[in-house]
Amino acid sequence: MGGVDSEPPSKRRKLKQSSMAETLADDSIGSKRIKKVEFVRLIAESLHSFGYSNTLSNLEKESGIAVSSGLVNEFIKLVLDGNWDESLNSLRKLSVLDESVVKLASFVILEQKFLELLNADRFIDALRTLRTEISCLSIDQTRVRELSSLLLCSRGNVTKPKPKQEVIIDLQRLFPPDVMIPQGRLVQLVEQALDSQQDSCSFHNSVCVDSLFSDHNCGRSQIPSETLQILQEHQDEVWFVQFSHNGKFLASCSKDKSAIIWEVSLDGRLVVKHRLLGHKEPVSCVSWSPNDDWILTCGVEEVVRCWDVQSGECVRIYDKTDLGMVSCNWSPDGQRVFTGFNDKSIVMWDLDGNEMESWKGEKTLRISDLQVTGDGKFIISICKENMILIFDRGLAKERLIKEDYNIVSFSLSGDKKFLLVSLVNQEIHLWSLDGDVRLVAKYKGHKCSRFVVRACFGGVDQAFVASGSEDSRVYVWHRETGELIKTLGGHSGAVNCTSWNPVNPHMVASASDDRTIRIWGLKGLNSNHSCMCRT
Amino acid sequence: MDIDPKQYEQIKINDKDSHNIILSYLIHGCYKETLESLVTSTGLKVTNAQLEDMEKRKRILHSALEGNALDAIHLTEQMSPDLLENNKDLLFDLLSLHFVELICSKKQTEALNFGQAKLAPFGKVQKYVGKLEDFMGLLAYVEPEKSPMFHLLSLEYRQHVVDNLNRAILAHAYMPSFSKLERIIQQATVVRQCLSEELGKDVLSPFSLKDFLKRS
Repeated sequence: MGGVDSEPPSKRRKLKQSSMAETLADDSIGSKRIKKVEFVRLIAESLHSFGYSNTLSNLEKESGIAVSSGLVNEFIKLVLDGNWDESLNSLRKLSVLDESVVKLASFVILEQKFLELLNADRFIDALRTLRTEISCLSIDQTRVRELSSLLLCSRGNVTKPKPKQEVIIDLQRLFPPDVMIPQGRLVQLVEQALDSQQDSCSFHNSVCVDSLFSDHNCGRSQIPSETLQILQEHQDEVWFVQFSHNGKFLASCSKDKSAIIWEVSLDGRLVVKHRLLGHKEPVSCVSWSPNDDWILTCGVEEVVRCWDVQSGECVRIYDKTDLGMVSCNWSPDGQRVFTGFNDKSIVMWDLDGNEMESWKGEKTLRISDLQVTGDGKFIISICKENMILIFDRGLAKERLIKEDYNIVSFSLSGDKKFLLVSLVNQEIHLWSLDGDVRLVAKYKGHKCSRFVVRACFGGVDQAFVASGSEDSRVYVWHRETGELIKTLGGHSGAVNCTSWNPVNPHMVASASDDRTIRIWGLKGLNSNHSCMCRT
Repeated sequence: MDIDPKQYEQIKINDKDSHNIILSYLIHGCYKETLESLVTSTGLKVTNAQLEDMEKRKRILHSALEGNALDAIHLTEQMSPDLLENNKDLLFDLLSLHFVELICSKKQTEALNFGQAKLAPFGKVQKYVGKLEDFMGLLAYVEPEKSPMFHLLSLEYRQHVVDNLNRAILAHAYMPSFSKLERIIQQATVVRQCLSEELGKDVLSPFSLKDFLKRS
């Protein structure tokens, strides 16, 4: 601390003491004995990357720790500028480095110089660099050979030089980490901590970025549990609801022989967009086309109608004389429609209403679900009361899921790899379809013994399972652990079906025998809130 | 130890055969003057055309051996027009001799240009890529003799290419590619090896011409 004689002696002594105290202080922090020197240098690296050079030099003074080597920074800058020759000079000034590291680093730099010259068609200069600078390093002879043959430039694309940032990363790997601190290391450590917090949060249902000031802890508050809206447009039991893939619409259908398309407005409230009238029988299910332009509705043992979502018009009726339809769905490419019939057969149609293919014999039951996956290859349906059939229509091969109790409904996950099967013994079983078909989890607690009750996946990363229940409540489980997280009360009749908005993880719809649909959301939520984070 | 040297005495060799063996050896090696002497002494017949061809072949091989590969190529094309066309491997080897010559004369820029113009087209064919890389690699060294590919600069390598050229020219002219003398020695060596394998012990050492000649 450079003694200036005009300073009063007492002051000098005090300063001396404090700097001694600094060096004698414990050089580790926290319970894991993190080295203070390293910690300060990480802070310094962040300050440097933000460009706070004054703060940086103050930090050096106050901590007494030489945080940034001016030489190393100079070296990095020269490399980023592509000033190869100067950067080599700078490299040699770094006496802290091993001879072998200097050679390897020089090779990295000279290789870029060589490639740059080559790309500029300066063959003679490139050759000179190769001969006089690169090969005399006597390392990596194989690469020297390869570089030499690049001079022929007869092999199609000449190798391009790397982006300078990548060169820095290559050099970082060669240098001991305390000489050149990896860029963004502090941020990287923070991100690791955030990942770890998120992984251990079982209620994680939010896509918003966390604050760093407190641990990530969703708490149950991220699960929709408040009734935000009650939709009362149906005249009879509401049997089915489903959000569109883009989360902008909700479709519902009812025993009152109609279906309704609702629009989700920007403030989160649903309004009627179209009433779809025309069925002569109660409508048992709806199905959104993959691009959300059309919707299929199925009248119970009647016909399947296809509607244009924007206009609300019925554009096609799928019908077969003397037979009644029981289920309907789209192929994943939206070009084919599959329908199940009450004679247990399944038919595939094109969009103009022409029958393309049919599969007879115990493929489906009355009142049943139908799903098509695997690029249209597999048809999933309930073929017997306790069996689900996964039918490979190309190879005419079958896989079966056999349950001990009767199956009332099933539902497919967004990634088409999992199946939720609702059973009459009040259990929901989760089956994996990827590879071997196997039972993965069970969910219990709700009531389902007489009616068709449906379950669905939902929430961020489809981490939750929701189901209706005969006790008028909606049940929500954590998918991974099977833990029952919430039950939502409010309906006055059995809840037949639930649907979780695929785009807004905080919106759930439920359909009930009490003729209403309820929209559930977060407590005290003003729907302009940030969590429409994904558009 | 040989099996039974006395058995050799039983076998009679025709003089004419001996002369033919020597003749084929001399033709193969282009020893024109010696050949002419032999012809005079033994009454063997050699045509003028044969002698002329041998002279041409000798010039080609000498050019190549002295590092004058381009001359060798030119002369070969004159003498046997489509030989190199149909023998790309050989053409590549000859071109590479010229390339090596340029490198040894410290003419890097010329070597580079020559490589780009003449050798590069071979790079499109997979089997030449490795060789091409080896040769181009020589360019990278200020002292190519100290590089891992130093053997490409050696006399042995040049001799090897020249031998291949010789055989190719002979074959092209429907002459035997190997002299009879060579074949006989090769035969003896192989036979010796087979016998030693059969007898199962190291009773017989591998055939050594030198030792054999010393013994007799």
